[in-house]
Amino acid sequence: MGWLTGLVAAVLYAGPMPAVAADPQLLPPEQAFRFSARALSDRTLEARFAIADGYYLYRDKFRFAVLPEGVVLGAPELPPGKIKTDEFFGKVETYRGTVVVKLPLSAVAGQTVVLAADSQGCADVGVCYPPTRQKLTLALPAPGAGPGALVEAAPPKKNWFQ
Amino acid sequence: MQKTFVRGVAVAFVALAALAAGFYFSAGVQRDPPAAGLLGLALPDTEGREQRLDQWPGKVLVVNFWATWCEPCRDEMPEFVKAQAASGARGLQFVGIAIDQPDKVRQFSQDLKLNYPSLVGGYGALELSKALGNKVMALPFTVIIDREGRVAYAQMGPLKPGKLDSIVGKML
Repeated sequence: MGWLTGLVAAVLYAGPMPAVAADPQLLPPEQAFRFSARALSDRTLEARFAIADGYYLYRDKFRFAVLPEGVVLGAPELPPGKIKTDEFFGKVETYRGTVVVKLPLSAVAGQTVVLAADSQGCADVGVCYPPTRQKLTLALPAPGAGPGALVEAAPPKKNWFQ
Repeated sequence: MQKTFVRGVAVAFVALAALAAGFYFSAGVQRDPPAAGLLGLALPDTEGREQRLDQWPGKVLVVNFWATWCEPCRDEMPEFVKAQAASGARGLQFVGIAIDQPDKVRQFSQDLKLNYPSLVGGYGALELSKALGNKVMALPFTVIIDREGRVAYAQMGPLKPGKLDSIVGKML
């Protein structure tokens, strides 16, 4: 029976998960930096990041991409951020609150596009998140039609084992 | 009769074990004790040479997940340099795992006169820290491993110098 006890013990070993000290109840990045977007017209998208209190995003870390192939995204129009001096990187700009970014694009009106946004930021408690990609799907309005509805990025999948 | 019962219990145990294993694998949690996954890791250093995390047996290992793009990470590292210089001879060994690009890590290591190795890990290395308690996979994240290879302490966010001394001091 020794082998069996061993097997059961090995399988059931959850680890004593090390107690993580001073865990400041951090939000996952998708919740700290909530991404949404809408089509303002058939030629312009508007991306929004709702940044939770106590968190900030770096201006130069945003990257946007669209699918399908053939849809061309222009240079994003990023509002000025708050400037601070970083010892290693020099002058950096950060955002707090809500950031609205305009994205010109050339696509066929009525087309559905997937907008992917990479962002990177930190929490004031002294931690930073790696670049995080969030995606959503937008239907482009017909030329002359009003802006489309605001679409929230899909919430991250629930993991029942945490 | 008793034999049948024992066999029945054994089957039930195996079934339970298999079920538990299924849960573990589906959850992506390591079956090994938490430190084993980390110590089994081999990552390139800034020169591209593969370095194993188990090359310091018997030492008190402080594994610090960091990145150059993480200001709070950079802010705490001068203290690690001091501690490495002060207690290295007594068996303290720092190892950095940078979630970053090698050239940036090399540059920063030189700027800071880093006196311990910093290995370069990708997102996979950060995933590994999740199993050690880094739930949101943020940086810095520091794990202290005792001389027997067990996780003694894990810290999300900066490790204050006093805290480092009080934990490591008892282990040296």
